[in-house]
Amino acid sequence: MASTDVQDDSDDGMDAFMDKFKSQRYKNAFSEKNWEQEFNKIPMFMKTAPEEIDPKQYPELACLQSIIHDEDRPPEEQARSLKDEGNAYFKEKNYKNAVVAYTAALKKKCGDQELNAVLLTNRAASHFHLGNMRSALNDAAAAKKIKPDHLKALIRGAQCCMELRNFSGAIQWCDEGLKPHPTDNKLRELRTTADKQKRAVERDARKGKAKEKKLHGEKEALLGAIKERGIKLFQPISSCPEGSEGEGDDESPSAGIAQLNLDSLSSLEVTGAQVFLDEQGTLHWPVLFLYPEHQQTDFISAFCENNSFGDHLSVMFGEELPPWDTERKYHPQNLQLYFEDEENETLYQVDAKMSLLKILQHKRFFVKAGTPSFMVLAKDSSFWKQFICRRKIHGL
Amino acid sequence: MDLPRPEPTERGCRLISTNQTPQCLPPNASSTPRLHVVYKMLSDSEAAELLSFLTPSTRPDVKGKATEYILGMSGSRDGCRFLRSNPNLIAALFELTSDPSVAIMKDCYHILINLSADETLHQVLVSEVKVLPVLLKNLQDPEYLFSDQISTILSNLSRHEKTCRTVFKVLQDEVGLPKLVELLCNESYNKKAKLHYLGPLLSNLTQLPEARSYVMDPDRFVIQRLLPFTQYEASVMRRGGVIGTLRNCCFDHSHHEWLLSDTVDILPFLLLPLAGPEELTEEENEGLPVDLQFLPEDKKREEDPDIRKMLLETLLLLTATKAGRQALKQKNVYPIMREFHRWEKDVYVAATCEKLIQVLIGDEPELGMENLMEVEIPQDVEEKLREADTKEQEELEKEERMRREEEEEKKKCEQTD
Repeated sequence: MASTDVQDDSDDGMDAFMDKFKSQRYKNAFSEKNWEQEFNKIPMFMKTAPEEIDPKQYPELACLQSIIHDEDRPPEEQARSLKDEGNAYFKEKNYKNAVVAYTAALKKKCGDQELNAVLLTNRAASHFHLGNMRSALNDAAAAKKIKPDHLKALIRGAQCCMELRNFSGAIQWCDEGLKPHPTDNKLRELRTTADKQKRAVERDARKGKAKEKKLHGEKEALLGAIKERGIKLFQPISSCPEGSEGEGDDESPSAGIAQLNLDSLSSLEVTGAQVFLDEQGTLHWPVLFLYPEHQQTDFISAFCENNSFGDHLSVMFGEELPPWDTERKYHPQNLQLYFEDEENETLYQVDAKMSLLKILQHKRFFVKAGTPSFMVLAKDSSFWKQFICRRKIHGL
Repeated sequence: MDLPRPEPTERGCRLISTNQTPQCLPPNASSTPRLHVVYKMLSDSEAAELLSFLTPSTRPDVKGKATEYILGMSGSRDGCRFLRSNPNLIAALFELTSDPSVAIMKDCYHILINLSADETLHQVLVSEVKVLPVLLKNLQDPEYLFSDQISTILSNLSRHEKTCRTVFKVLQDEVGLPKLVELLCNESYNKKAKLHYLGPLLSNLTQLPEARSYVMDPDRFVIQRLLPFTQYEASVMRRGGVIGTLRNCCFDHSHHEWLLSDTVDILPFLLLPLAGPEELTEEENEGLPVDLQFLPEDKKREEDPDIRKMLLETLLLLTATKAGRQALKQKNVYPIMREFHRWEKDVYVAATCEKLIQVLIGDEPELGMENLMEVEIPQDVEEKLREADTKEQEELEKEERMRREEEEEKKKCEQTD
């Protein structure tokens, strides 16, 4: 027979090869220097497998691999070998390669559904450790579809849902798992945690809603108080056309409030101060004083609407003059206050004895950026003279 | 409102004077109207003739007339007695629950519901006709048309301890309690039936210690699955049945600590149906179990006063042990009960709520009396307590009557206006 002939031939060759060494010395023997290195090339003695198997460098290893992954073997066997490879990678925590191996095994499309379920579950585990929760969940779901009582897949599915913070999903996975495995500790533990988390999330949502409602109520009360006093907030033209403003206000106060949103109330100041309604129903405004002569400003974060300017000015300038007032002329009794009507380019002079509320209610006063602002000048100074002669001035 | 502070002895007795044993729920009669027709009792020969019509081979129209006739009869007490003395008739009817005609099947099931509502027929149905195995088998069929009727019959049959034992035993052999719990917790098991009456069935079964020990098996996940049903809106039966089950479970004080622990966390599920939309302070909210914190303003309370009472009784049972009292006090149950009491109109429910509040705000009982379920009460004291209870009951009845009259007065006034 042909095959035996071939075998005989090779045996002869081997004999001849061996015989050769009777007369001459074998040359390629390991030396003391390189034996360790050479040993490492032989699969049986390898301490670690190389990353890439190059058939030229590791012929034996490449041979073994081709035996393992022999395309001619039935797909079940090939898939099983690939699974072993994946498991080995998994043990080494080399999850990326494990995923590759399991994927290759699944591509064999073998008929053993049990094996496929295990492969999917294992790939789910690898994805899970890589942090690919979506892929892990998909694999667990696919495994569950093949084998609905596969405990590891059920636990993995629940764990993925937990990581994705889908607690209802996790509970569902656990319940499905507890049907075939009613006493499994891990499932019970997971379900308890998921349920607890879910309820905490629900509570947070309720709490947020309650807080929002409270804030909304406060905001509405504040805007109501402003409206009630007839104080006008300056509307940026871009966000609110003037025509609709008046109508909307009359028809439904809440719509008006929505328009008069807090954007027009929030102060541009870095301090973040904002008008607020105290428990007695009194408004407190942030107020800005401008000193055009020196290009300086003062900011009062809460100016009670019932106080007069005199009250504040006497505190601000009464005891000590500001450092920028080098000429020492900003004495409380010397100060002149104005607010500006930008539209008509007019200044209105403010009586320092009047309350803030009175002035805010003036028909030409608009609160801009949530902060009423006033110009302060020293009377009879040259700057003041220059300043007022260039503008239209009205008394109050 | 100010609630009276309790005296320690009184608190003990209150609890003991409430029903000490796990209970069953009231029976359910068929929805078929009971006809007020006086049935002439049939003679033996007439009964035999009737029986001859109840065979599968009888012409359907004749068979239908016969079952219709018996259905009417089963609506009256005398009719039930007549059937009790003719178990072969019942057996024949039971055979016809698998008749090809749906109308006849329905009649037969409704006859069985009527019969099972009569306690004196339980033994006949269970021991002589042996209805249980077939009923339980059909119950598991997810396509079965009459599973609701079966649930009702089973819940009726399990009311009294003796037949309940039989039902439990056959159930364990044929189906197993785990399957029953699964059916109860799965709203869409049977598309053709709602299975709400499995709630009362489970509640009745848990009057038996064996059933309770399964429901409270710490190695399983049973009671945890039942808990969400305390707020099940689709059916007062399912909800009431589950709450009845929980109350029965709370009679076993050795399980209290476990029930209140994080593994089960029974408390929020008992409190949620009693909590309303009232806004509590931030501090009160933070002390509550998470599920009760910051409830929305459209939160509704349990609408059935009997169920509210059952929930309160369950909470009261939990206060029988020191650990239970501590847990309820620590979880800030008081503000929930305070608001509940303010809201409650039903005098009986309000009275139960007061008892609970007394425990919540009262002092701990003296050493050796911590477990209120184990306190021994001398006979003379017990008699006195019983008297006090009857008196209280009478007073409550009077109060309720007055409240009703007042309400009617109000209605009349409104009408005349």
